[in-house]
Amino acid sequence: MDETDRRRLASAAASRWFALLQSDQMRRDEREQFIDWLRESPLHVAEMLRIVDVHGALEQFNLWTEIATGPKSSADDDSVIRLEPRAAAPAPTERPVRNRVRLVAGIAGAFALVAVFSVLFLTRGQVIDTDRGERREVVLADGSVLQVDPETRVRVKYTDALRELFLERGRAMFHVTRNSLRPFVVHSDGTTVRVIGTTFGVERQGRKVVVTVADGKVAIMAALTPTTPDSHQLTAPANPARDRAARHSDAQVLLTANQQVTVQASGSAEPVQEVDSQQALAWAEGRLIFHNDTIETAIRQFNRYNRVQMTVANPALAAHPINGVFNASQPNSFIAFLQSVAAIRVVRDGDRSITLLAAGTDAH
Amino acid sequence: MTSVDAKRRISDWFRQWRSPLRRFLGRTGVPRADIDDVAQEVFLRLMRYDRTELIEHPQAYVFKVASNVAVEWSLRAHHKQPHRHQWLDQLVATGQADSAFLLEKSHGEIKRALNTLTPHQREILKLYYTENLQYAQIAERLGESLRSVRRQFEKSYDRLRQELDPELLGVITHGRD
Repeated sequence: MDETDRRRLASAAASRWFALLQSDQMRRDEREQFIDWLRESPLHVAEMLRIVDVHGALEQFNLWTEIATGPKSSADDDSVIRLEPRAAAPAPTERPVRNRVRLVAGIAGAFALVAVFSVLFLTRGQVIDTDRGERREVVLADGSVLQVDPETRVRVKYTDALRELFLERGRAMFHVTRNSLRPFVVHSDGTTVRVIGTTFGVERQGRKVVVTVADGKVAIMAALTPTTPDSHQLTAPANPARDRAARHSDAQVLLTANQQVTVQASGSAEPVQEVDSQQALAWAEGRLIFHNDTIETAIRQFNRYNRVQMTVANPALAAHPINGVFNASQPNSFIAFLQSVAAIRVVRDGDRSITLLAAGTDAH
Repeated sequence: MTSVDAKRRISDWFRQWRSPLRRFLGRTGVPRADIDDVAQEVFLRLMRYDRTELIEHPQAYVFKVASNVAVEWSLRAHHKQPHRHQWLDQLVATGQADSAFLLEKSHGEIKRALNTLTPHQREILKLYYTENLQYAQIAERLGESLRSVRRQFEKSYDRLRQELDPELLGVITHGRD
């Protein structure tokens, strides 16, 4: 066993001991074992202190309202704790309704006023509609998770045979729970994305649809005639996407991890691009990444995520290129960064409006 | 001893150990010392204590010893480098901006790590850290056994320990001021 393995084992044991310490259920023989374990190796002491560090970090953590929760699932019963479908291989069993109700009650009670929250869908047809500055993380009935960006509209339609979603505007990231008997299908404009279990993002840019895969494999079918939003009505008669998918299977594009494709309104797909999916899907984690983008472009992105709206007064300043990774919900950090790379003046009007000016120019 | 007292004590012990470390790692400007070094010293001291004494209050001893080690190291570092504060003071302005940035980054890092847990594990942690519920209360609220709740804590801590960037973890738990 090498050093890494020993550390790994020590860390797992330290987690067990720390959880036991916290539970206040330590019997005398367990205390004895704990002390003996600690006195076995400095490595054990070190890992214990590291777990205490994790506890300390969680005590200091101030974004709990942005953390989505959910009921117990099959993923909690084995040693696998990743959200990604690759690891959560066993198909989830239907959970009792009582658990769902409890989850909803718990969330409602604890976090009434949060920008990012979880909703569990109890009914079969639902619409998720977000405003400017509003992000949501939604846990669907099958355990799949949707990260919905601002200014996005998604319709959800679950039947026993199919999990169908319609992205009508904006963008969303899908963490799909694997279930080979019940495919997960996302429709956006004329494009259909069909998966069994994976993680991917779908983004509507005007009449174009951009699909990026983070994990697993997805099939994309572009309809020859784009469907209208009306045809996506949840009350539409039985017209399963399975049929639609079958009809257009000849226009299918297969994407695997770290690949992206853009489908035009005409239904034609551009060549598949190799991308860094972590970067291309950074928006799903509330991160904005800029590579030689102009300040104007960056500000437009920030404004989508925040109530406070920024404007740039000088065209030359607006065209200034910037690079960096930012937290979308922290425009002030972005401004602080700008001040370090460009000579700018910041004029605040109340708490909703910020104007950026090149240093030396007047606000009006 | 009530369980509320027990939880408070865990937090108090933690703070005892954290505060001197914060002073040591933060104010003296020494690069973040490896916990392994502190652990080595704590380990040696634990070996010197009487086992039966340790068994009575294991947490108290462990954290107290760790805290003492940190205090002593802090003093030692100060004597070794008496001029250190001078140039540190000159760096205050940039240091603060840096620290705010790092702090924000570390919250983001914790969020990322939490999102690698299952929704259920996140729910349990959330109940513990935001609603201040004890294990037994969480078990009752979720209709699960105490053992199962404890098991989820174990898995979560273990996972977060592997996931979290140690450098950013240091920023949030010990600060950089």
